[in-house]
Amino acid sequence: MTNAEILIVGAGHNGLVTAAYLAQAGKKVLVLEQRATAGGQLAGATLASGATVPGLHPAGQLRPVIVKELDLARHGLTMSAADAAYVSALPDGGSLRLVSSANDVATIEAIRRLSPRDAGCWPEFVGFMNRAAAFLDAAYSTTMPRLPKIELRWDGLPLASLALKLRRMGGKDMFRVMRSLSMSAVEFTEEWFESEPINAAIAGVAIHGVTLGSMSAGTGFTLIHNWLNRGGLAHRTTTGGPQGLTDALVKAVLTNGGEIRTGAGVAQILVEHQRVLGVRLESGEELKASTVVSSADPRRTLLGLVGAPELPPEFVWQTQSIRMRGSVAKLFVQTDGRHRLPEGTVAIAPTLKYLERAYDSTKYGEMSQDPYLEVTTSGADVMVHVQFATYALRNADWGSMRPELEKRAIDTLALHFPAFKGSVQSVQSITPVDLEQTWGLTEGDLNHGQLILDQIFFMRPLPGWSNHRTPIDGLYLCGSGLHGGGGISGTPGRNAARALLRG
Amino acid sequence: MPELSTVHHPLYQLRRTPFHARTSQLCLPHNWRRWGGCLAAGSYDLGLDREYWAIRNHAALIDISPLIKYEITGRDAARLLHRLTPRDIHRMQVGQVYYTGWCDDDGKLLDDGTVTRIGEQSFRLTAAEPQYRWLALNAVGMQVQVTELTEQLAALSLQGPKSRAILNLACEQPVDSLKYFRMAFNRIAGKPVSVSRTGYTGDLGYEIWMDATDALVIWDALMAAGHDYGITPTGILAMDMARVEAGLFMLDVDYTSASHAWIPGQRSSPYEMGLGWTVNLDKQGYFVGRRALEREHREGSSWKLVGLEIDWEGLEREYAAVGMPPQVPASAVRGSIPVYAGPRQVGYASTSTWSPVLKKYIALVHLQQPYFTPGTKVEIEVTVEHHRRKSPATVVTLPFYDPEWKKK
Ligand SMILES: Cc1cc2nc3c(=O)[nH]c(=O)nc-3n(C[C@H](O)[C@H](O)[C@H](O)COP(=O)(O)OP(=O)(O)OC[C@H]3O[C@@H](n4cnc5c(N)ncnc54)[C@H](O)[C@@H]3O)c2cc1C
Repeated sequence: MTNAEILIVGAGHNGLVTAAYLAQAGKKVLVLEQRATAGGQLAGATLASGATVPGLHPAGQLRPVIVKELDLARHGLTMSAADAAYVSALPDGGSLRLVSSANDVATIEAIRRLSPRDAGCWPEFVGFMNRAAAFLDAAYSTTMPRLPKIELRWDGLPLASLALKLRRMGGKDMFRVMRSLSMSAVEFTEEWFESEPINAAIAGVAIHGVTLGSMSAGTGFTLIHNWLNRGGLAHRTTTGGPQGLTDALVKAVLTNGGEIRTGAGVAQILVEHQRVLGVRLESGEELKASTVVSSADPRRTLLGLVGAPELPPEFVWQTQSIRMRGSVAKLFVQTDGRHRLPEGTVAIAPTLKYLERAYDSTKYGEMSQDPYLEVTTSGADVMVHVQFATYALRNADWGSMRPELEKRAIDTLALHFPAFKGSVQSVQSITPVDLEQTWGLTEGDLNHGQLILDQIFFMRPLPGWSNHRTPIDGLYLCGSGLHGGGGISGTPGRNAARALLRG
Repeated sequence: MPELSTVHHPLYQLRRTPFHARTSQLCLPHNWRRWGGCLAAGSYDLGLDREYWAIRNHAALIDISPLIKYEITGRDAARLLHRLTPRDIHRMQVGQVYYTGWCDDDGKLLDDGTVTRIGEQSFRLTAAEPQYRWLALNAVGMQVQVTELTEQLAALSLQGPKSRAILNLACEQPVDSLKYFRMAFNRIAGKPVSVSRTGYTGDLGYEIWMDATDALVIWDALMAAGHDYGITPTGILAMDMARVEAGLFMLDVDYTSASHAWIPGQRSSPYEMGLGWTVNLDKQGYFVGRRALEREHREGSSWKLVGLEIDWEGLEREYAAVGMPPQVPASAVRGSIPVYAGPRQVGYASTSTWSPVLKKYIALVHLQQPYFTPGTKVEIEVTVEHHRRKSPATVVTLPFYDPEWKKK
């Protein structure tokens, strides 16, 4: 039994943000999370093998407006102001250390050693990226029009205010941002810099977390997207790390009178005549509510939890067509501490072609021979992000490919940091299939739907449905598959709560 | 010459139905029509009289094999059709046949046909146009198999007051107990068939469904059994006149499928086509178009398909003015003709025909609210010696012709 008016499926950070806003507005909310802990991808897990792993993210931050509106500082969240370092391992064995601020003397000096011309461009580049990210931030916090049918009453005002913000950016910048979105990381970076190591280092961030190569159209957009969420090239940490972020959100939900139930997987969203009635849990328990908000990915929510038979056929077809394509794996490596890896965010992205080749393999259903890696350390613990490890392997499966994944990642890292290999004591790995089974991500897609040009803005999650609603009255979506997602930002969660409260 | 080879590609050639060996021998005027990518006999004579009167007075044998046919089987077969159509399929009994249209989610018709419950978990669906994509889309998340049977399943329509007597002679089991819109299995010439008491003429009539390999044997058996009753191979043009009298409409002639409409205004809802009786808003669960149909039911339709009888005296007057007796078309006219209330156009006829049995000039017309009310006087355009005139006409309920033996 529950007396909650609103049920929220999934306690990922977006589900929690939605819950906190609704609870703050006086709604009785109950968050239902299938896993034993809240936090979604920010939370660790016990794998089928029995091994436990920490959260999938080395870091993450919420948009400042959310921190402020939900008063998360009161719940223990503080953002780190320090500019983190992004270190790219170079083909010659050296490394390039970049801090994403316009006037960082050491960064400019490091770039000068590669190209004096590029050193001169760096401040302007950082300035542009920050303004482009601000543009994206403004667009993300604006609910998109339901193209092709615009209703001025609902869509007009937010769009007008977005247009105003854009105007303030200035015509030249705006044009340049628009142009950048559809470019590839290669084209985009080569317009700024002549030195390949710099371009490749930046391009690594552009393809991070997405199934795209450095030469894919639209990686100009994903670069700006990731820059926005990270606050630059490197991850920026919060106190208490990702767990601190989850804890603060949980507190915000609870202190506003909301409830959270973990170990409460939703098996079915109950529907009659295209109206939501509540949910049935995996335990068989039924909870009635006239509003359900799901932070599970749109495909899972609509085709899995609601079920195609309750939805209009064309909508079913559109939902089936959402491209979900995970190709990220993770390694958690315990070392004896003598790994000799630098601090900060370390990337193995030596050349632009290296990144494209790593991606190529996914086209053939194979794992990258020489993967792109991003590595963070916490004392003796080393966390390795591996791309590309496609969900859809062609002549193999993830049950048997795990040792090969671990070997390729460790060998690749050891190639640049030879001391690492000898320091390894134990390895835990997470494959795209683990992401699907343990974190509930369809096809292991971290973003709940690929971040590609035809699946963003008013086309996310689906054209015509950018208002967080669905063909089922009372069923809303709030996760990363919505406009503003993926990544850690909380924006889709905030937008969903606002759409719901607006009625 | 690449164009030539394109023309000769099998895709561009009209298919022959399983009865072609017989119909091609009979179709002396070579009056062939296209139907669903097949060659279909328009008429076997130069005129339509003999075939038309066979439908109304004795028995007409019509090759309806070009109909698109699907077999739908599996645990969720009923569930799929319940979702697809506005009818309550869960209430259907084995052996029952439903006529129905089906809609897109805006409640606009995509196509229409019959659903036959062959068994608890097996159905047959007929359609004017291929529906596989739509069926497959609607079946997502269900345990159901959809198989197209258009070419494997041959079909004949035996229509007319003597059709029952002929079938009783030809079939292993008598068909006397087969009620209107029911189906039963039977045998003709030792071959298995299913016989449904359905048709497209508004007369007593049956449709006989068989494996394509048995087609000719069964044709011959029916022709032999029907000989003394005047059985007449009949083309689709005479059927076209009969179906207008019966108030039955046709896709692409009397309405445009929502999937082909260029503009929203070309689409029609079941209510607008007079199929309100097939829309069951009380049934359980979602069906495609439910929301939109509920709204239309609440708010009323702005158009409706009704019957129109053109007043003979009015027609006579228009022709008399140029010194001629009234002229009527020799077959059903598939073309849009404006209908007026005073100076304002309030609708159009989509098929019009001379009805030999009623001795009336009739039309299926689409009229705007409120002109579709029976008894309303309107005017229809007639072209008299190359001049456009208007002739008075009266709105009537459909069907125009409904013989007592149709359902008895
Ligand atoms: C290694 C890694 C790198 C990444 N890199 C990037 C990046 O560079 N750029 C980027 O944009 N994004 C990136 N992401 C993606 C980003 O982390 C996600 O978009 C974000 O965490 C999603 O948050 P969420 O709250 O929307 O959903 P999630 O965190 O996925 O939470 C959904 C929650 O719903 C729960 N749930 C699902 N189904 C049910 C059910 N039936 N009943 C109950 N609960 C259910 C799940 O258990 C989960 O807790 C990365 C992710 C990872 C793991």
